[in-house]
Amino acid sequence: MSGNKFATRVAVTIVALAAVSSAAGAADFDWKKFQGKTVTFLANNNPVSQALLTYKGDFEKLTGMTLKVDGYQEQQMRQRLVTVMNAHSDEVDVFMTLPSREGQQFAAAGWYGDLSAMAKDEAAKDYDYAGLSQALLKAGTFNGKLTSMPMNIEGPIFYYRTDIFKKCGVDKPATIKDVEAAAQKIKACDPTITPFVSRGLKPALAYTFSNMLHNIGGSYMANGKSNLCSPQSKEALDTYSRLLRDYGPPGVVNYSFQQISALYRTGRAAMSFESSNELRTVMEGGERLKDTGLAPFPAGEAGQVPTAIGWGMAVSAYSKQQDAAWYFVQWATSPEIQKRMAVQGIAPPRPAVANDPEYRKWIDEEPVRKQWQAALDVLATKGSSEVGYPIVANPESRDFIGQAVQDLVLKQKTVDQACADADKGLDALIAQK
Amino acid sequence: MTGTPLSESWINRLNIVQLVLAGFLIMVPTAWMVLSSFKPSFEVTAYPPTLVFSPTLENYVQLMRTTPFFSYAVNSLIVTLGSAGLGLLFGIPAAFAVSWTRISWPAILTLAARMAPGTLFLLPWYVMFRQVGMIGSYTALILSHAVITLPIVIWVLLPSFDNIPRSIFEAAQVDGCSITRILWKIALPLVGSGVAVAAILSFVFSWNYFLFALVLSNGDSKTLIAAAFNFVGEGSTQWGALMAAATLIALPPLILASIVQRWLVAGLTLGAVKG
Amino acid sequence: MAYAANAVTPDRQRAELVALSAPAVAFTLAMIAFPVVYTVWLGFHAFSSTGTQSFVGLGNYSKLVADNEFWHGLWVTLALYVLSLVLQLLLGTWLALLLFHAKRLPGVVRSLFISPFMMPPVVAGLMWLVILDPSIGAANYILQRMGLPPSDWLASPIWVIPTVAMIDTWQWAPYVALIILGGLQSLPPSVYEAAQIDGASAFKTFRRITLPLLLPTIVTATILRSVDLLRFFDIIYITTQGGPGNASNTLNIYGFRVGFEFFNIGYASALMLTLTAIVFGVVLAFNRLRGAVAW
Repeated sequence: MSGNKFATRVAVTIVALAAVSSAAGAADFDWKKFQGKTVTFLANNNPVSQALLTYKGDFEKLTGMTLKVDGYQEQQMRQRLVTVMNAHSDEVDVFMTLPSREGQQFAAAGWYGDLSAMAKDEAAKDYDYAGLSQALLKAGTFNGKLTSMPMNIEGPIFYYRTDIFKKCGVDKPATIKDVEAAAQKIKACDPTITPFVSRGLKPALAYTFSNMLHNIGGSYMANGKSNLCSPQSKEALDTYSRLLRDYGPPGVVNYSFQQISALYRTGRAAMSFESSNELRTVMEGGERLKDTGLAPFPAGEAGQVPTAIGWGMAVSAYSKQQDAAWYFVQWATSPEIQKRMAVQGIAPPRPAVANDPEYRKWIDEEPVRKQWQAALDVLATKGSSEVGYPIVANPESRDFIGQAVQDLVLKQKTVDQACADADKGLDALIAQK
Repeated sequence: MTGTPLSESWINRLNIVQLVLAGFLIMVPTAWMVLSSFKPSFEVTAYPPTLVFSPTLENYVQLMRTTPFFSYAVNSLIVTLGSAGLGLLFGIPAAFAVSWTRISWPAILTLAARMAPGTLFLLPWYVMFRQVGMIGSYTALILSHAVITLPIVIWVLLPSFDNIPRSIFEAAQVDGCSITRILWKIALPLVGSGVAVAAILSFVFSWNYFLFALVLSNGDSKTLIAAAFNFVGEGSTQWGALMAAATLIALPPLILASIVQRWLVAGLTLGAVKG
Repeated sequence: MAYAANAVTPDRQRAELVALSAPAVAFTLAMIAFPVVYTVWLGFHAFSSTGTQSFVGLGNYSKLVADNEFWHGLWVTLALYVLSLVLQLLLGTWLALLLFHAKRLPGVVRSLFISPFMMPPVVAGLMWLVILDPSIGAANYILQRMGLPPSDWLASPIWVIPTVAMIDTWQWAPYVALIILGGLQSLPPSVYEAAQIDGASAFKTFRRITLPLLLPTIVTATILRSVDLLRFFDIIYITTQGGPGNASNTLNIYGFRVGFEFFNIGYASALMLTLTAIVFGVVLAFNRLRGAVAW
């Protein structure tokens, strides 16, 4: 071997090594494998996808693929998806999904592609599958098939006004009983303020109610039957509806995130129990930045079992290029991208990213962000993704829960009647095949 | 003349009072929408509602930045003009034939598509247009929207055609005119105000219709109305941008209506012949 | 009358008339035949959660007859329909007459008078949702400033239907007005002159002459509004989603949720077809009326 050749070889090795380190382990993973292909992504136009798609260009550059994005508001997206999937069309390759809501429904209909194998064998080295929230992965697994990769973590959290608490001599509530006591005190102390607000809209309230149910120790199902008439479940129904009725705003039965955030943001509510995603909306204008405290919802008899869900990214079972689609999914849910999304305010579904120094710096910029992340940490470790009944007909089950709560808010039934009526309808749903 | 000048002016004044009242009730919400589009987003839901605020264009800027507004607008315009045109092209002769024969089933048939919930068509049409590879094409959208515009044209024009005295047509027939010729040369000029109304309504309905575009279009052929939805959602509600989008979306129909109003006021030719 | 010898023969005339309506008829059939047949087929089947279908004959329809939510939805649909239609016809006619007499109003202002129905329904719904919110909305603020008691508006099981009807009337009475205005413009001015010479009062002129002449146009407006009102959807979906409870759960909202959210496609098809049949019946009835009022 001549000295010259040896020098060349060393140089090549060094260049190669440099390439490896700069592309972070990309050397043995061929990102360009599907160069030239076009992947269609049906997105829910929410902050999660908005943050993700700011890096669309990076994906196209990395892979040489074209990403076609079709974004709609949540309900419209679902309507389009249902049509496309019912027609067994391959028009959509990747779509966003809420496993906690429609996971069983879509899985039963066979709409999800199976990601189990690809997540293990087809992932880049730095994908760090094990670093994803295990709870969220589990929530996206049906009959042993992994159906979607988590994009974020979210859940209802407790927003409260520190200044009003101070003025009215209320301490930060540690339990649900404290919440009610605080509400009572605030009502007496400043009648112009709505003491407590949360969701009252029929199809929407399961999201917040489930958290209270689990904290109190109630459950949706026991022994294959609906369990809303158990003492704990009844207490949850009673407490949730009482808080809304006695301390909530008039018209709360139509309230969902829009009204709740508007009411709290304008300073007219002292406590609000609403999605962590609404932080940005609530802080808009800056009026609530200095006087808001954030926490997971206070504990009940069973402690704190916060609702923690997340949007997932699924590959369509009818896609003709699931392997290429997977490349987009793994890029979008990789630690690198989730880190970049995190500093745009998308809570990462990876504990490691949550500890990333850059993200921590962003968090430390505002005290509110710190509390927000602390609450989400609790959600990540203790959270339950059960929103409504763990059955195929989950979306419909939420209607029955909502109806029971509304009947109580509007004083149209007693707790016993409301839970019995709901159980009757829900048992029929559970029995449905 | 029995109406004395005094009572005439009294009636006039009463009319003005009523007009102001009606205008107030109708336009206050619209004005609220337009004003809101110039407010900072969080101020739209402020309480008590703010009347005095420092106007801003940030909503419009944001709208343009986050949405390919103009390319959506072009899509909307193509689909709307296409479907309104198709509706008029098929609808005018059909309305005339129905009016002439007094056999109304064709008019009812065309309305059938408006009797069923729109959602009933989503899946079948998706399957249908997919078969022929037309998903995402303007043609598919124009055809689906023409199902909405066609019955409007027919039903709005029916009473107008009915109002034309038969004697005019009969005279023309004696002169050897074909029915088609009577329609285009005699009847159509007489129903100018009806055509104006039909045109405005077709335009507005097609322009604002969202459901079919939801499944028949794709990212490229998406219509403007879809953009309005993008500003309402958990974590992404932006009232200001929504109101800005709504204001801009409502403008083209408003401009069209202002132009076409002239025919509406002037369309009095018929008075000369009837009665 | 007898046709002149050199004029069109009845055969030729018939052919021409057929040719005039053929494109509209053929187009409509091409577009709706498959969806209707497909939906009828779906309505005879039940679907399991895994998507396998089984023929159930009229099973979905007997389920419908026994379904309280269906009957409730029918009641809500009809209540909302009658209330909205009456309001819109009355106010629409009133507005049309006002605009008709205000001939010197500039075109832009006249357009503003009919502008509400040009607003996208989703925006109209959201806008009213904010305005009518019992806590943060302008409506209650104004009421309270005037010393009147606030209302729960859309959040009250009792007031939700009248409130939705009011929103819909705000948006669609101007549409009725536009149609009627078109009819008014095509009325011969000579009839007014004759009436004025007779010394008839304005109201008498309207009742005896204008109204009867306008009836065909009003029937058209009624039919066009009926097909939309009986399928009431947008504003409710945006403001209450059928609530509170099920107080505003119209048949169309119910059918939509059963099909697209609960995935019960067979039953949803039966619901939608039943609703279509109801709309069809109403249109047929009004169409008879159209024949009766023609002049």
